[in-house]
Amino acid sequence: MANHQTLTPEEHRDLRILTEPGVELGDGVMATLIIPEEFRRVQSEFPIVFRRTQEGETFVPLALFGFENGENLFLSDGRWQARYRPLSLAIQPFLIGAPTDEGSEGQVHINMDHPRISTSGEGVRVFDEDGGTTPYLEQIAGQLGELHVGYQGTAVFIEALERYELLEAFTLEVPLSDGSKQSLVGFHIIKEDRLQQLDSDALGDLHGQGFLLPIFMAVASLSHFSTLVERKDTALSNG
Amino acid sequence: MARDFEKLVIVGGGTAGWLSAAYLAARLPELRITLVEAPDIPTIGVGEGSWPTLRETLRIIGIPESRFLLECDASFKQGSRFDGWRTGGQDDSYLHPFTPPLSGSISDLLALGAEGELGSFADVVSPQAAICARDLVPRQRSMPDYAGALNYGYHFDAGKFAKLLSRHAVQQLGVTHIKDEVTGIRAASAECIEAVSLRGGDHLDGDFFLDCTGMAARLIGEHCGSAWIDRCDVLFNDSALAVQVDTLPASPVASQTVGTAHEAGWLWDIALPTRRGIGCIYSSRFTDEDAARRTLLDYVSACVPEQDVEALQPRMISFRTGYRESFWRGNCLAIGLSAGFIEPLEASAIVLVELSLKALADSFPATRETLPAYSERFDRLFHYRWERIVDFLKLHYVLSERDEPYWQAQRHLETIPASLARQLRLWRDHPPTQLDFPHSDELFSAASQQYVLYGMGFPAPRSGSSGDLGMVQGEVARVREKARALTAALPTNRTYLDALRATQPADPREGEFA
Repeated sequence: MANHQTLTPEEHRDLRILTEPGVELGDGVMATLIIPEEFRRVQSEFPIVFRRTQEGETFVPLALFGFENGENLFLSDGRWQARYRPLSLAIQPFLIGAPTDEGSEGQVHINMDHPRISTSGEGVRVFDEDGGTTPYLEQIAGQLGELHVGYQGTAVFIEALERYELLEAFTLEVPLSDGSKQSLVGFHIIKEDRLQQLDSDALGDLHGQGFLLPIFMAVASLSHFSTLVERKDTALSNG
Repeated sequence: MARDFEKLVIVGGGTAGWLSAAYLAARLPELRITLVEAPDIPTIGVGEGSWPTLRETLRIIGIPESRFLLECDASFKQGSRFDGWRTGGQDDSYLHPFTPPLSGSISDLLALGAEGELGSFADVVSPQAAICARDLVPRQRSMPDYAGALNYGYHFDAGKFAKLLSRHAVQQLGVTHIKDEVTGIRAASAECIEAVSLRGGDHLDGDFFLDCTGMAARLIGEHCGSAWIDRCDVLFNDSALAVQVDTLPASPVASQTVGTAHEAGWLWDIALPTRRGIGCIYSSRFTDEDAARRTLLDYVSACVPEQDVEALQPRMISFRTGYRESFWRGNCLAIGLSAGFIEPLEASAIVLVELSLKALADSFPATRETLPAYSERFDRLFHYRWERIVDFLKLHYVLSERDEPYWQAQRHLETIPASLARQLRLWRDHPPTQLDFPHSDELFSAASQQYVLYGMGFPAPRSGSSGDLGMVQGEVARVREKARALTAALPTNRTYLDALRATQPADPREGEFA
């Protein structure tokens, strides 16, 4: 059982979080969950794909960083090689806690087993010396709030995509410069020809719910597959 | 085409000599550089604080920042704090940080202060004050070498620094190192040195010579006869007692040099990871060695209680404040203490070495017949620089309200340079601006002058404010917010330096022979 705690100034007064990018800090992932509200920011850097949940009942949107488990091609030399860092990564090691009673706001929880928990005295403080929040925690709280709302909206968004049959499975196979082939399976993308065929009622419905923009952002993001392949090639040639 | 200057001879090791060797070898690889130093001449090693300029210098020389920090027992210096300079009272303290003040009108800011909305000048205009007050570092370890969230230089062990530069210059940059004593100088004329003779019987030919022999000034003084311009009339201090005090492993490491005024001078306090360099500077006209020793030991026992002060044996250094009439004569240039000496109140020794080297390397002489023009240009520029240092250091004294005889004498009009007196009159009307300091590489910018002036409580300018204080209020709020964010994000000096040691325990010389 992970060591999740409710964040409080009494318990966590001197807590520091390591905020720099790093594989050993939990950034060595091939994809991360995203919410439709951040599709515009995500599409400027990463391909947006969809994956069936483990239960198989629905889909989740993801920003793709690599081709295989554990591969993040946007991390090198301890630097994050993109202008944007998706929210679900940026908020690590914090989590959204369920509100204690109805109507109250969600709490900030923290995973005290996460590698970003600093034990060295380096890292960013969560509370200042007087127990007040730091700008860092204020930023995290804002991001957690955005994610909280976004996760709730994602289910409706996915339902709409499925209702209009806008998701299709896809397989990517790319030859790399060293002669090997890189394949990617198990993901879905927006079915573009189906999108073209939607009638005005359907488009009006999607637009009314604010889904049209994220759908087109997801379509636009697919140009970044070539970025991903280039990064893979560079990683290969750097050994 | 044969160049007139191929063989550069540096006489003297120490910080000035080795910094010259490494920097010039890195910038001008076509030179053949030889450094000759006597094996048993002790170096002075007082200048253990640098300016932010040293980061760029080290980067040019090609030394990684972590290596410098580890091998020279270095720590980060973010400015200087002056305690007791204004009145000598309990809360009498101000900071001169390296990060410049907020943009926006200083007059408007001071008008805000007059309305009682502000704290001390540095606290209000720079987030660095909050960082220094908490002993925090100016950067995170994950940042690239020599980059910082705030501007910074270093405190370091000068002896180890010279050794690091020496190893790097010889092994990586092809500098020839001769350990021998220079016994004489061979010259065709006073303006043209041909060689230096060595105790071993050889002589060392050169086309161009750097005098890095320290206060002895063997070349520029003894041989070339460049006169000494004495400035003891303006800056009275002429003696110092210096000690190194070991500190406890977990003790805090300060983010700035601390200069504490006493009745006839001041004390410096420079914190390294393992020790503190503390010294008492004084004027022998106003106090004597015994009293200065007592002042020093009292300070040490108050600041480092675990130290048995009676066991300390302070080293006595006598000095003359002044500089050479000519730094560059013929084919000889003086760099370091041979060029001049001034008390380390604003740690100007190493930056003067850096600026001299930059001026030399940016426009290295090509032909012998042009040498007089180089010399004339260099002397004019560096006279200006030395005079600006004299003015700026004097500024620290003339604004004091302390009433001991030493401090009263500092304010006598005949001891204040005309250029400084003129500035002070202008600053009654207007805050210091770039108009006062128009050169491109001014040692002390208008920002530095503002920190000292308003840190010492100089009155707000009579020209008044613009009347609309909204913009400057916004800037003040921005500084406060930045201070909050940085205070949360930066670790202490102790934490940073210990973590650096823990992650890089490898042989410091590793890679040297690669």
